[in-house]
Amino acid sequence: MAPQDISKLIVRTSMKDRAAFDLLYRQTSAKLFGVCLRVLKDRGDAEEALQEVFVKIWTKADRFAVSDLSPISWLVAIARNHAIDRIRSRRSPSANIDVALDVADPTPGPEAMAVAGGEAERIHHCLDELEQDRAAAVRGAYLSGESYAELAERFKVPLNTMRTWLRRSLLKLRECLER
Amino acid sequence: MTLAEDNGPERGGDDLLAAEYVLGVLPADERQIASRRIDTETAFARLVDAWEVHFAPMAAAYAAVEPPASVKVAIDRRLFASTASTSPAPGGSLWTSLAFWRGLAAAAIAALAVYVALPYVNPPVQPPRLVASLAADNSNVKYLAVYDAARHEVGLSLVSGDHGAGKDFELWMIEGKNAPVSMGVIPAGQTARMAVTPAVQQKLAQGAVLAVSLEPAGGSPTGQPTGPVVAAGDLKGI
Repeated sequence: MAPQDISKLIVRTSMKDRAAFDLLYRQTSAKLFGVCLRVLKDRGDAEEALQEVFVKIWTKADRFAVSDLSPISWLVAIARNHAIDRIRSRRSPSANIDVALDVADPTPGPEAMAVAGGEAERIHHCLDELEQDRAAAVRGAYLSGESYAELAERFKVPLNTMRTWLRRSLLKLRECLER
Repeated sequence: MTLAEDNGPERGGDDLLAAEYVLGVLPADERQIASRRIDTETAFARLVDAWEVHFAPMAAAYAAVEPPASVKVAIDRRLFASTASTSPAPGGSLWTSLAFWRGLAAAAIAALAVYVALPYVNPPVQPPRLVASLAADNSNVKYLAVYDAARHEVGLSLVSGDHGAGKDFELWMIEGKNAPVSMGVIPAGQTARMAVTPAVQQKLAQGAVLAVSLEPAGGSPTGQPTGPVVAAGDLKGI
């Protein structure tokens, strides 16, 4: 489905059009469930998160009009942020860290790259300018929702070092993205 | 650039915080604070949005996984089970009524009369937000416009249509019989935000008409619309 069609569905959903909402769900729920699963690493938890995500989409669809994001990115952002909020509020944040390491390599396949186009090349190009483990930390944080605490554990460095590392990486990224 | 410099009060500290928020690395408490700031501080919300845009391509790596059918059933139950209250979350009244009004704009002007009493039932506590559905006969261009008085900006969402190569859409404010006032060329993309000058703000608050015309790339050379008006509509209060 073309981005413009997804846009229309979001706008119609903001008008409380249930048919549009149902279609939006059919078109996007698999992607958003993938996001929840990847971050939460627990099916039951991800299913519950997905429910909450679509309740949010129904109630906040009109915020899409004032976002700079493409429609699918806007939906993914809602799902990601919700899943991350959820996992952060769990008591033991690193309980499932081993599972996190089992998931597939986060580098997107050629198909995904082609879809995302030039903008995608820019972030990936800028990530490639970072040292390999720093880029891995940024990708891991984004895709799996790893916290500073989890990253520190994974890279075996103190928490503050991890934060300094990552912030430096973000500064480098920003400098590259603005070039 | 050093880390210390960049943590200064200017854009550095907030911009990094926005990046950390989007990346998701912050602990729960800092995340909550950032999340609250997104809702209350336009400038911070913009920084967050910009990082979401930067990082969005990474999301291509998320594999699609079909959720079980029970999820949609549960969503429908949560949202639509009691027809008495389609209004979802507590505190969601603004969004509900906003969408409500858009629905009205799209559906039928006749129905307006029925809901005239709404503002009295639901007195606005925030500065006004106005919405308009922009469309015209003989044109497939449709925009949804939201004027946010608090943020002094108009948010535009392109519902359908495009301006073709070498052309641009330009947004105009028309008040009564006065000449249209340009609000600028609409930035490319599905959605756009345009800042509103103080003079125009006042007129918009009084319910001026918004119109979109097709202009040469870069906007009208004359300061007045030179191409056809492809979409227009009244701003309605919430």
